Formats: sequence, C-alpha cells, structure tokens
Amino acid sequence: MLFRDAFKTATRSLTHGKMRSILTMLGIVIGIASVIVLMSIGQSAQNLILGEVQGIGSNLIFVIPGAPSNGKFAAPASAQGIVITSLRERDIDALKREPSISAAAGEVRGQADVVYGNNNVRIGYEGVTEDFFAIRNLDTKEGQPLSNGDIASGNHVVVIGPDLATALFGTAVSPINKTVRLNNVSFRVVGVLSKGGNGPFGVDQGNLVIMPVSVAQKQLLGITYFNDIIVEGDALYDMNFIKSRITFALRQTHGITDPNKDDFDSRTQEDVLSLLGNITSILTLFLAAIASISLLVGGIGIMNIMLVAVTERTKEIGLRKAVGATDGDILEQFLIESILLTLSGGAIGIALGAGVVGIIYLVLTTFFVSLGWVFAFPLSAVALGLVVSTLSGVIFGIYPARQAGKKNPIDALRYE
Amino acid sequence: MIEVHDLKKAYTEEDAPTQALAGVTFRITQGEFVAIMGPSGSGKSTLLHILSFLDRPTGGTYTFLGKSIDEMSDKELARVRNKDMGFVFQAFNLLSRLSVYDNVEIPLLYSGVPPARRRAFIEEAVQSVGLEEKLYTEAGRLSGGQKQRVAIARALVTDPNVIFADEPTGNLDSHSGLQVMEILAALNKKGRTVVLVTHETQTAEFAQRIIRLRDGVIESDAPVRTRAEKIVNLK
Repeated sequence: MLFRDAFKTATRSLTHGKMRSILTMLGIVIGIASVIVLMSIGQSAQNLILGEVQGIGSNLIFVIPGAPSNGKFAAPASAQGIVITSLRERDIDALKREPSISAAAGEVRGQADVVYGNNNVRIGYEGVTEDFFAIRNLDTKEGQPLSNGDIASGNHVVVIGPDLATALFGTAVSPINKTVRLNNVSFRVVGVLSKGGNGPFGVDQGNLVIMPVSVAQKQLLGITYFNDIIVEGDALYDMNFIKSRITFALRQTHGITDPNKDDFDSRTQEDVLSLLGNITSILTLFLAAIASISLLVGGIGIMNIMLVAVTERTKEIGLRKAVGATDGDILEQFLIESILLTLSGGAIGIALGAGVVGIIYLVLTTFFVSLGWVFAFPLSAVALGLVVSTLSGVIFGIYPARQAGKKNPIDALRYE
Repeated sequence: MIEVHDLKKAYTEEDAPTQALAGVTFRITQGEFVAIMGPSGSGKSTLLHILSFLDRPTGGTYTFLGKSIDEMSDKELARVRNKDMGFVFQAFNLLSRLSVYDNVEIPLLYSGVPPARRRAFIEEAVQSVGLEEKLYTEAGRLSGGQKQRVAIARALVTDPNVIFADEPTGNLDSHSGLQVMEILAALNKKGRTVVLVTHETQTAEFAQRIIRLRDGVIESDAPVRTRAEKIVNLK
C-alpha cells in the first residue's frame, strides 16, 4: 500500500469520528501544552537569574574562602557552614597592586533587626570596602553612596534599600540623615538605593543595608576576615589570565607553595553563570518531567481508543485482508492513524502552550513589573513536543495496530 | 486452474475436534461456473474459504494456477487474493461511509496500481454492473441489490481470474438476486471463472456444474442444464 493511500485512509477514518478524535487528542494536547508552558517558565526563570548575574557588573571575579572545588557543582565552603578566615585586608591590597585588576572590594554579610522609631524590620546587611559601589554598579536615588572616606574612617553611616526606606520611614519622610539602629548600634542614613527587588544570589536588594566594612566586622559581627572579595578585571586582559594573577597574588600573601593547598577559590562570572545555568536547566527538565506524566496518561487514552477502533472496525479489517491487504498494510494504516492523532494533538498542544506562555508573560509584565519577567519560548520545547507526540503515537499505537494486523480475515469478516 | 485432492480441514472447538472437510477432490478449469451446494454444516463455506486463500487446509493438497498453497507465505496468499481473486459476500461488506468509487478502489490500494491509473479501472468496473450514475453516492445509501452490484464491481476491478461468491443473493429480494446472478453469468460468459456457494437451487442453476457437499465430503459433482434454458425457465 502506498504511504499516500495509507495516509488518506487514516485521515478519512479520523475525520469520520471528529468528536471522538478531538476527545482522544485532548490528553496529548494538555500534556504537550504543559511541557511547553513549564519549559518556557523554566527558560524564562533561567534567563532572569542569569540576567541578574550579568547585571552585577562586567569583568567580575568572585574570590571566596575555602579550597577550590573540583566540580563546578560544589557549594562554597561558607555555604556549607564552614567558617574560613583566609580572606583579609592585605589580600585586597595585594590584588589592587596587580595591573590587570581595576578594582577589588571585600564584603561581609549578616542579618539584624533594623529599628527606626517603632518600626522594626529584619534585614540582611553588607559591610563593604572602597570601590564596592563602583564595581557593583549600584546607584542611589536619594542621598549619596558610601564615600571612600566614610569607609576608611569607619563612620556609622548606611545606604539602605528602597523597600526598607518605605517600611521604616513611609513615603512622606526622607530617610536621609535619619538615624536607625542595628543591634543597638546607631547609623546615619546617607543614601537610598535606586533599584529594589531581588539582587544577585537571592539578596533582597530592596531591604538591604550597606555599611562600611570595618563597622560591620567590629561592631556587629566581631570578625576580622571577609566573606568574599569581588574583583573587577581590566577589560584589556583575558579573564583567565586575571584569574591566574589572582591565584598568584593570593598564594603569595597566604604563603602557599603547594597549589593543592589553596585556601581560596576564584570564580568568574562565566563560572557562576555556568553553575546557575546547570542548576536551572536541571530545574527546567524536572518541571518537564512532571508535565510528561500527563503525556503518559494521554498516550494510554490513545491506546485505549485505538483498541476500541480496532474492535469496531474488525469487519473492515477482514474485508481489506480478503481483497489483498497484508498484516503490514493493516498495521501501517492503524499506526498512521495513531501518529496522526498524537501529532495533531502535539501541534494543538504547542499552539495552546504558546498562548498560555503569552498570557503568563502579559500578566507578569503588567501586574508584577518589578519581577522583570522575560519572555522565553524555547524552540527546543517545540521540537521536543513534536518528537514526543510522534513517539507517543508510535508507542501507544503499535499494540492496537499489531492487534489489527494479526486479525484472521475469516473471523474478522464474520464479526458482528 | 483449481485442483484439490483429498482436501481436509479440522477445527478444534472446546477440545472437541470437528472435521469440516473430510477429503474433497475435484478440479475447476478456467472459465467454468461452479456452484457449491449443501446443507448447513456441510463444509461448503469452509471449502470456499480455503479455495479463496482466506484459510489453509489441515490436510490434502490445493493447487491454484499450478502452485500449491503450502508453498506460499501469507504475504503471497494476500498478493494472489488481490491479483487473481475477486470476492462477493452475502453481507456485501461495503464501507458504508465511503462512496461507490472509494469502495471499488479498495483492492487497488493494495495492488500497486498508481493513483493516476485507477480511475479508468474503477469506472469500467462500475459501468459493467450498471451503476455509473451512482459513482459518488455513499454506499450506505444504496439498495441491497445496488450494494451487491458495487461488491461485484469491487471484485472485478483488479481483473481477477476467478470470482468467489459466498451466498451473493442471500440478503436480496428475488428481483435483485436475479440481477446479480445475471451479472455473474455474463462475467462467466466473457471467460471468467466463477465459484459460487449457495443453498438456493435457483441460484445454483446459473452454474454449469454443481458440487454437492454433505458432512465434509462430496455427495455429487455433476453438470447442470444449459444456462439459457434455466434463465428462460426463471423468467
């Protein structure tokens, strides 16, 4: 039997029972649409996260304490609750002497209650060294960033996030020159950050408090080391070269001669992006795997209906075999019907998924502007949708089609 | 053309063996019109199924156009059914939602005839049963007699050597039955072999020869009066 004839015969059978065909397809439509929507959300979230990291600033290298991880998936030692005190002021001085490095800033982090009058908010704070604002591209919408003088002198001044400013002072009162208290230490507010929302690494920038590093270290945390150092490389130099210079400089200041005993690790923005990219890809795949359960259910529905169709059309199968159809011809006909069903379902599912993705985008960009949601409709999801729907047609259609092909023509002709 | 020797067919149903054919021997030559008759359970339908390659015997030999059925694979049997055999069933077995054209086309779908050449074959076959004005009518809308004539057109479309008809007038009124038998008789007159299974004597008398079966064996195998005489008598 020519493929063209088999296709025509299958199309005719499907269009004959339109309502049944549509209802049969429904499972696949929902399954493929779910996969498309979840993959798209995953991709959008990935783009959003990676965009945030890229938005931190360019040519950045993050130096963190602890031995270098062999795999990119390993969490930094600090994230595992291990306190490593290897990064110090002298490291920043050494890094700043490197010609390939434009700037370097140390950071410490902590959490505290910030109080103004009767208002009390639990926030995360950062103690920073000079150049921090320049490296991180942070601007203020009110007041000024911390000056190098404030930082060098260890003045009790802070720059606060815009959400925190509203929470503590409301919208009518300017926070500038007001005094707030963190763990009973008083600070004067000198600036309000212009951008709120979630910053890189999940930092709630809207509620952030930034202060000179020495104040945070001595008065709030009681430490003398940094949690990390951010290095801005000179754009003229290759990032890997800069990384090697950082390693060289820090080994010298730390007195390390054996490369296997490094007590610091440096990660370029690319490394971080790659790590986050891997994590979000796994998340996207995980979401798609959940959605594919509905595909499985849809596929079983197809198999069920195809088995019913084979029984209903037993006499037709008998006739076709009597006039010369082989087992293979009958199998081919029913398999094409099944694939047509799932492929059409897949195409409708892709269109439906695209529609839902569009609606989600519109809703999120209209009502949740600060989220900065980005539109992503991965073509890989479309290709996957088409491939998976075709495969489900084959997988769930092969059994009914084989049953049809194996029918004995005499029994089939006698079937009532 | 058709040669069977000591043909047997045994079924096992509910652990009890049934001998549907218990050793049947005869020959049918090209251009013959043979009727197979017998009471219910005599084995006539079983014999027709084996002769038309829809079933295989469990004993004896069957040679069709010089080749034994035992030497042929299921695929070859399907090919022979398509090229050399035409089928007319009691229940017509048309696909009621398809047009006359599409029903008659079905055997051509499996014959390898290119789509462009099919129309001529289909129109010729439909014309030969006098239904050219119904070519695009849905088969389900035709009368019983017309349905059986479409079935004959479908049997003819591949220009087969032999037409097997299983109780072709069984579901028809006498007028339509007569029309159908006249068409089969006319086809035979043009040289086509016709093998007919019937339990109606009037229908069987269109044949040149009647093989009577009883309990799976041949009771008699004899020629009948000339067809012209019989048609005159019927009318």
